[in-house]
Amino acid sequence: MEQHDIIPVVSLLAVLMPLLSFVLCMFFVPKSISGKVAVSSIAVSFIASCFVFFKIWNAGNIHIQHHWFTLGQTSWDVGLLLNNLSALMILLVSGIAFLVHIYSLAYMKGDENIDRYWGYLSLFCSSMLGLVIADNLLLIYIFWELVGFSSYLLIGFWRTRDAAVQANKKAFIMNRLGDLGFLLALMILYSQFGTLDIEKLFGDGGLFHLSQFTSGEWIAPLGHISYVWLLVCGFGFVFGALAKSAQFPLHTWLPDAMEGPTAVSSLIHAATMVAAGVFLLVRVSPIFDSTVLITIAVIGIFTAFMASTIALVQNDIKRILAYSTISQLGFMMLAIGIGNNGAAIFHLATHAFFKCLLFLCAGSVIHEMHYAKNKLDADCDHQDIRNMGGLRKMMPLTFVTMVIAALALCGIPLTSGYLSKDAILISSFEWATTRSFAAKLIPYLAMLTSWLTTFYIARLIFKVFYGELRIQGDKTERLIHEAPRFMLMPQLFLAVCSAFFLFSVNPLSYENTWLLKVFPGSVALERIHSYHTVIPALLNLFAVLIIYFAYIQYARKEKAMFRENTWLYNFALNGWYFDEFYHQAIVRPVTYVSKFSFSIDRKVIDGLVDIVGKSGVLLSSIAGWLDRKLIDGFVNLAGRAAAGLGNFFRSFQSGRIQYYLAVMIFVVLTFFVLRYFSPAI
Amino acid sequence: MTPEQIIFYVFAALVIISALLAVVVKSLVRSIFLFFVTLFAVAGLFVLSLGDFVAVTQIIVYVGGVLVLMLFAFMLSSKELLNTLELVKTRYSAVQNIPAIVLSLALFFILVFALVKSNVNQLDWINGGNHLSVSDNTVQIIGINLMTNYLFPFEVASVFLMMALIGAAHLARKDKAE
Amino acid sequence: MIPLSNFMMLSAALFVIGLYAVLVKRNVIQLLIGIEFMINAALINFVAAGKSDKNYMGGQMTALFTIVIAAASVAVALAIILNVYKYYKSIDPDKLNKLRD
Repeated sequence: MEQHDIIPVVSLLAVLMPLLSFVLCMFFVPKSISGKVAVSSIAVSFIASCFVFFKIWNAGNIHIQHHWFTLGQTSWDVGLLLNNLSALMILLVSGIAFLVHIYSLAYMKGDENIDRYWGYLSLFCSSMLGLVIADNLLLIYIFWELVGFSSYLLIGFWRTRDAAVQANKKAFIMNRLGDLGFLLALMILYSQFGTLDIEKLFGDGGLFHLSQFTSGEWIAPLGHISYVWLLVCGFGFVFGALAKSAQFPLHTWLPDAMEGPTAVSSLIHAATMVAAGVFLLVRVSPIFDSTVLITIAVIGIFTAFMASTIALVQNDIKRILAYSTISQLGFMMLAIGIGNNGAAIFHLATHAFFKCLLFLCAGSVIHEMHYAKNKLDADCDHQDIRNMGGLRKMMPLTFVTMVIAALALCGIPLTSGYLSKDAILISSFEWATTRSFAAKLIPYLAMLTSWLTTFYIARLIFKVFYGELRIQGDKTERLIHEAPRFMLMPQLFLAVCSAFFLFSVNPLSYENTWLLKVFPGSVALERIHSYHTVIPALLNLFAVLIIYFAYIQYARKEKAMFRENTWLYNFALNGWYFDEFYHQAIVRPVTYVSKFSFSIDRKVIDGLVDIVGKSGVLLSSIAGWLDRKLIDGFVNLAGRAAAGLGNFFRSFQSGRIQYYLAVMIFVVLTFFVLRYFSPAI
Repeated sequence: MTPEQIIFYVFAALVIISALLAVVVKSLVRSIFLFFVTLFAVAGLFVLSLGDFVAVTQIIVYVGGVLVLMLFAFMLSSKELLNTLELVKTRYSAVQNIPAIVLSLALFFILVFALVKSNVNQLDWINGGNHLSVSDNTVQIIGINLMTNYLFPFEVASVFLMMALIGAAHLARKDKAE
Repeated sequence: MIPLSNFMMLSAALFVIGLYAVLVKRNVIQLLIGIEFMINAALINFVAAGKSDKNYMGGQMTALFTIVIAAASVAVALAIILNVYKYYKSIDPDKLNKLRD
């Protein structure tokens, strides 16, 4: 077979192996070997994606289609599109998924519903892989929904816990809201172009590029509508991406999604699913015009800033990391907004590695703390960083890998994170040079956010790993030991990936990364040389200072820096009160309306049914009365009439001679009368 | 109004009134005595019809015989009979009478109707036949007829009377320790 | 002269009175009296009609014989009544109902 034909089959294999594992784990395979089934299927998937990546990267696109169904006049096809972006994503997703599967073998060991876990995890991997290689927007939408659904299943995995159930409901509903926007955009595109195929729309010479925008009209092969609809379409896609990637205003589900197992959080809510939003926006980026792009950038930077302020004062280790994810996704949105798709994808890739690593290390810490807590019978939250401390002596390897990931998050040189963050920041400065004053604020805000990021992650590291362990008990330190081997191995591997050498030979300049070379920026940005040196230097200098400051505060002083009862502290602690606001503005009216309609249903509709029932009873009692009185009355009457008649005739035979005599005379008289008065006789 | 008619109406009224009273009164004694009066009035009517011998015979036999017989039978019967006679219940008598009254009236009307229709007065043998006159000797005529035309019924009547005598005597005997 | 129809009407009335007595009275002797009334009514009829029969004296002869028969019947009837009283202990005709169905 020609190589050209094998590749689509192999990529299909990568998608379908986890699906097979889902079916097997959920329905057929016993719990003991479900883990092995899942891990082996994702391993096969990973190997297949490696093959696809090396064949496709910079070697031309492959686009295979197959007829799916026909509705009336239109026919829909299903197919795969393998270009640079899909190849990179497929490798990334399957790689990270494989590592998380290995980690889960140790983390979820002993859980009773382990077969469900592997099933759901496999379903998720299959849908995510399908999403990145789908060739038309309808297929992407289908996989988008499937990914959201698997996320719902996994967040609420421990379904007996009320917090988990509330969280997965919230995640699913917010995702659905975003999907409304996605659907709207799909409809507009379809009505204009008659197809949803990505290659046809956005490829070279694609239909979208052929459409003209003149004097407020959008002229396309199939339609002729006002220009406003282009904006609506763009905003629709943006809205969908906002929900999936947890940006303002649909970001509140992600911190609550931390109720799921940590392995799930690391895979879905750090590296892959939340990246789907960014992926979609990059896929359909030709649609966005300047208004939409500015909006994306503003939303991105605002979310980044907001999330990092909230992360400053959180105390649950996973929530800090969740808000950090939101913040970094904001950076990626900013990159898309300023037109540098390549930087966005680059940051997505590096973020996938170091954020996943951060979550896995956090998982190890939580795992050990939980174990220690159970042994001591202590009553404390094992995820609260205020209860931790000094763990670097007991979990050295975890400490080292987590520090490497934290450095990558801060953007310290020699890490991959430095390269991608610099790409975004520098290009944002370049973008802002030609624009208004308000636009110039954006890069400065990005720098501030970056320093805040450094602060909160340093706080986390120092509070968890330095100082003294705050849980009291006999020989507590001896209870906590290093994480199991299966948990350590992925962490080590990811730590290696977080370093610079995976991405670029030059650790200090991002322009040489092989990744970026493939994605040309959508808007050509003038390279201003000074920016490329001043900004990184400034950024990193301050970052180091901040780290030192945090070290002094948290590792040495053991005293809270921020007073805990100020208004600003509470504002940040409660997530800028977005949850409260949504609860009051949306949840409560909806609940009220549903209670109201329930009461109507009960009173009016059940009332009607009751009335019908009662009237039925009434009618039947009337019928019964009628039956008793009239019909039985007739029967009785007949009986009594017969009795009366009988009694009457019986009285003739009384034995009284005078009576007999009277009858005889009566008969004689009758005879006389008839004889005299009637001519007949 | 000739005296003849007046006498007729008086005797007729007497008959009717006494007969009515006889059937209305509850007490037996009174009805017997009213019967007595009726018989006398009937005898008077017989005389008016020029049947003097019959009238006398009526008085002798009926009044003197039948009535006296009834009186004696009533009076000389046992005490229980008398007592029973007095205790006649009057419970349903008012209602029971109505059919009888109706029947009687109906019969009366029919008889009168037949009477009127047949125009009895104009019958040949009544109008033109040989009438009895007042000066006739009815006894002689009766005697002659009795021995010639009506001999057979005369003899039979005597045998009949003997039968009745024997029968009544037998029926009314006193049973002695049967 | 009194027309025959007057006598006959009178006799009809007497006869009906006698019939009433027979139908209504609760005492058999009064029943007997009623029967006598009926006989007497017939007698009036006979005698009134016999006024026009000089040859045979039919009406008066019949009346004579009827008187005889009536007397005999009364005698026998009273004897029967005595016997009935011995058996039924009552002379109410309603009580004499052993002939019924």
